[in-house]
Amino acid sequence: MGLHLNLLHEEILEQRQRQRDPLKIGMLVLAGCGALLFIYYAWNAYRTIEIKTRLSRIAADWQKFEPRVTQAQKRATELTNIINTTRVLDDYIDNRFFWGPLLEKLSRCVPPNAQLSSLEASMLDAERGGGISITIDGLAAAREPRSAAEDLRQMLLEQLGKSYFDVKAEFKTLEDVESVANIGGTNMPMSRYILVITFNPNTNAKPAATPPPSRTKRRSSSNESS
Amino acid sequence: MNLPKLSKDEIKKLGLSTMGFIFLLYAYFTFFLGPLQKSRDGTLAQIDALRKKIDGSKGEIAKASNLEKQAKESTVRFAALKSLIPDGAPIAWFPPRMKTFFANQQIDHAVARLESNTSFKQPELTGWTKHNWLIELPQADFAAFGKAIADLENAEPLLSITKLSIHVLPNDPQFQQVGIAATTAIEKR
Repeated sequence: MGLHLNLLHEEILEQRQRQRDPLKIGMLVLAGCGALLFIYYAWNAYRTIEIKTRLSRIAADWQKFEPRVTQAQKRATELTNIINTTRVLDDYIDNRFFWGPLLEKLSRCVPPNAQLSSLEASMLDAERGGGISITIDGLAAAREPRSAAEDLRQMLLEQLGKSYFDVKAEFKTLEDVESVANIGGTNMPMSRYILVITFNPNTNAKPAATPPPSRTKRRSSSNESS
Repeated sequence: MNLPKLSKDEIKKLGLSTMGFIFLLYAYFTFFLGPLQKSRDGTLAQIDALRKKIDGSKGEIAKASNLEKQAKESTVRFAALKSLIPDGAPIAWFPPRMKTFFANQQIDHAVARLESNTSFKQPELTGWTKHNWLIELPQADFAAFGKAIADLENAEPLLSITKLSIHVLPNDPQFQQVGIAATTAIEKR
């Protein structure tokens, strides 16, 4: 094997040193990484732009949709209010006490030998049971005027008990009076009574479909004497 | 493995390159990719929120449409009740209305006076006021009055009688003097 002499040893060494220059290699690596990172950034930017486009499309849809939604919400609130108000008003209407049927019953209970001179009726507060309280002031004339008044009380109890609950009828006052009444040509002694009636109205009470009775005429003045 | 021996100059250059690389990464993530990601996440959140809004709104529209069908009866009834209340102050129209009503029932000289007005306790009736009236009938026949009361209760569903006072007229027992305390529910206008 022949002997080789390297006369360019220094030049080759210098070239090798240049090739493995860390700064140059570092710059190359940096540039490479930079390029990769840029590509990744560009990809991300593209996706972000795409998402933003999607957002603007959805926002445009919402812009179109929003007035309808606002209107629907407003209408729903309005309808809910109407439903609730109507329900409460219906309760108010249904829970009224109808006086027509009561007056009809009262008039049917009064016999010809009894007279009602005043009637005070009121609805009690809900705290006091929400019932009805009636005070009747009147006169009864018969051989036994107190019995006539008692008959009226019994009749009221019976008739009102058919339609209302917890009916109570009590005399606050029942006293004989000096005056007499002329009934059918006969003078009858009279008694004055104050009757207190309380009851709870039937919740199913309905307004009178037919007019109240006509049989409510008081005794004519000819039947009265004082 | 034999690593090539690095000269001092080479080590300096290598350090510089490493620092440059670290700076590049820092700048990239802090000033470029970070804000981009943040913006993308924000946009995605906005899209999500808008989609939820749109989905919810579709439900709202459907609900309103269903409610419209359900509320048909209530709406008609509510309109009917409202139509019973004329425009204007109740004090202006209620007394003449009562006078006319009782006159049509052959009971003359009816006088209605406003006693007070209060609000309803029910929150649903915040737009309504309770008016308390005192109606006086100086001379009424009991039969005509009974019929009138029944008709009044049928004709005025928003009117509720709370007190009734009937007294025989001393000079004419055929007729009675009547006082009616009534409450009406009237919409505020």
